[in-house]
Amino acid sequence: MIKQAIALSWINFKSFPHRLVASAISILSIACVAAVMLGVLALSSGMVKTMERTGLDNTLLVMRAGAVSELQSVMFPMEVKLLSNNDQVLRDKNGQAIVSAEMFVNAEYKKSPVNAQSNTEHVTLDGESLSLRGISQNTYLFRPHFKLIAGEKFATGLRQLIIGQAIARRMPELVVGKTINLGGSQWFISGVFSDNNSVFESELWADIGTVQSDYRRGSSVQSVRLALKNNTDLTKLAQEWQADPRLNVRLILEKVFFAEQAQNLTRLIRWIGLPIAIIMALGAIVAALNTMYAAIASRSKEIATHKAIGFTPFAISMSIMSEALLLAIVGGLLGVIPLYLVFDGWTAATQNANSLSQMMFNFDISLTLIAQAMTLSIVIGLLGGILPAIKAMRMPVTVALRDS
Amino acid sequence: MSTLSVAPAKKLNNIILQDINKSYSKGDNNVVVHDKFNLAIKSGDFVAIMGPSGLGKSTLLHLMGGLDRPTSGHVEIGGQRIDELSESKLTRWRADNIGFIFQSHHLLPVLSAQGNVELPLSLTPLNKKQRQQHAANALALVGMADRAHHFPKELSGGQEQRVAIARAIVSDPQILLCDEPTGNLDRKTADEILALLKKLNNDFGKTIVMVTHDLKAAEYASRVINLEEYIALGVEAQGAQIPQEQQSILVGE
Repeated sequence: MIKQAIALSWINFKSFPHRLVASAISILSIACVAAVMLGVLALSSGMVKTMERTGLDNTLLVMRAGAVSELQSVMFPMEVKLLSNNDQVLRDKNGQAIVSAEMFVNAEYKKSPVNAQSNTEHVTLDGESLSLRGISQNTYLFRPHFKLIAGEKFATGLRQLIIGQAIARRMPELVVGKTINLGGSQWFISGVFSDNNSVFESELWADIGTVQSDYRRGSSVQSVRLALKNNTDLTKLAQEWQADPRLNVRLILEKVFFAEQAQNLTRLIRWIGLPIAIIMALGAIVAALNTMYAAIASRSKEIATHKAIGFTPFAISMSIMSEALLLAIVGGLLGVIPLYLVFDGWTAATQNANSLSQMMFNFDISLTLIAQAMTLSIVIGLLGGILPAIKAMRMPVTVALRDS
Repeated sequence: MSTLSVAPAKKLNNIILQDINKSYSKGDNNVVVHDKFNLAIKSGDFVAIMGPSGLGKSTLLHLMGGLDRPTSGHVEIGGQRIDELSESKLTRWRADNIGFIFQSHHLLPVLSAQGNVELPLSLTPLNKKQRQQHAANALALVGMADRAHHFPKELSGGQEQRVAIARAIVSDPQILLCDEPTGNLDRKTADEILALLKKLNNDFGKTIVMVTHDLKAAEYASRVINLEEYIALGVEAQGAQIPQEQQSILVGE
């Protein structure tokens, strides 16, 4: 039986050029589905990885109660002090609490005329919103992977900033030594940093005091990061701070906070992307069905002859299925390979739903995702081939021969 | 599986159609093609079935070849009721016992003459080399050895039909069922094809049943059945033939 199916499949493959156009349409539609599917999966996978690389296990992120993002939060120096005084917070050798109070704003580029009198070239970006984080020296303690890869750190008290390498990659015009127009003020790029491909690489970091003054925030901050002792009971800590009438805060482990953000983003991508992929898949199934129906219609006499010679209906249907499968595999590869070659590692930008600013991440095309896209292609091929295969199997020989 | 048998067939493959009813539905109507039809053909015979269109000549071939089943009645070949075989057994039986030759040769355009002739052998346990050898023998027998590697589009109508005959005989079936084998050919080529069939009948003992409209073609047959007249004989006269035929078949006449 298998031998028969192989013999007939081989003949079908040989006659492929005779059905080139119909087959090409089918292949192309399957390729599109595979590419969209892989794109969606790679996008969410890239995002998850970026988010997962962000945050430390023992770092507690504290924001205003009810805030789902740093942007929505505001905290005051007294609160920071109260939090820092807790026994569960780690201290350095000088007895100072390891705490990082951070500012976080959306800095908007506005198109501004180039200052002709200045020797500095202005980079003007219209409508881009970037995350600007005001940090202190302590902040570096919470970013163990931080590495300055170009230039130097910003100087305290000046409008200087360092930019994450994800931004530097996506906006090659932002280089060390340039001054950019940020929120109406001129900021000097002093360096570029990396941070293990985390979300932070999509941010601009500057001196917290300068950011506070530039954005007229007084001494308020958005979030506080606290290094906790290993055995800290988070529930107990939360109860303790909830009971304190001077505090009205939300606390969450930094790792968990970013993992939740990743979940929200990937859910969004999948809600939008997967329905598109499914609709396209249905279209591809119809295209494959059409191609295979046309293939057996044009070969009805050939199929009848095979049956008359003694090939089993099952072997004939298997040969039809193998042709559909071939279309699917070629289509799948045609969708997956170019996407892999062009887009793997490619940096994309999206609006972070929580911070409303740009977030860069890499398309992450893994073998697992390729296998998933190829599986979808094969399923399309099988679904597109099964009905024509059944039709070929049931095709009455006498009718087909009489028609000739 | 042997190469084409040179000696006349040893096994008897008598064809007996008994009390055949064949009808099919066409819309709301039930079209009766055969009603209590009886026919016996001796193994090794060369029978031409003639008659106007619509009498069910091709249907008879399809019934004998197991491509179709009677609505009722028996189709017995070589002592076996093929109308009772399951679809898969019937397919296997067909591959072993029947060679079809059609008016339109139905050669596969993507395969060479050799490839087309080899195709039925892929149903056998023969290896590639053996299949090639068998196909070459069959092509040589029909005078197409020098065209083995030509594709159907490179062959004339007569050559294509020769290749189709080679394909039909390559598995060495005892019975060849030919449906208007010369319908698409000019007189000269038709005569060549008919002579070839006659040779297969005479030299190799093949039982040949040929449906044709061509009186000249019918002259090659050892028995001609004018279906219109035959049916007009009536059920009893047809039926009366069966026991007699069966008897003569059994004694090997």
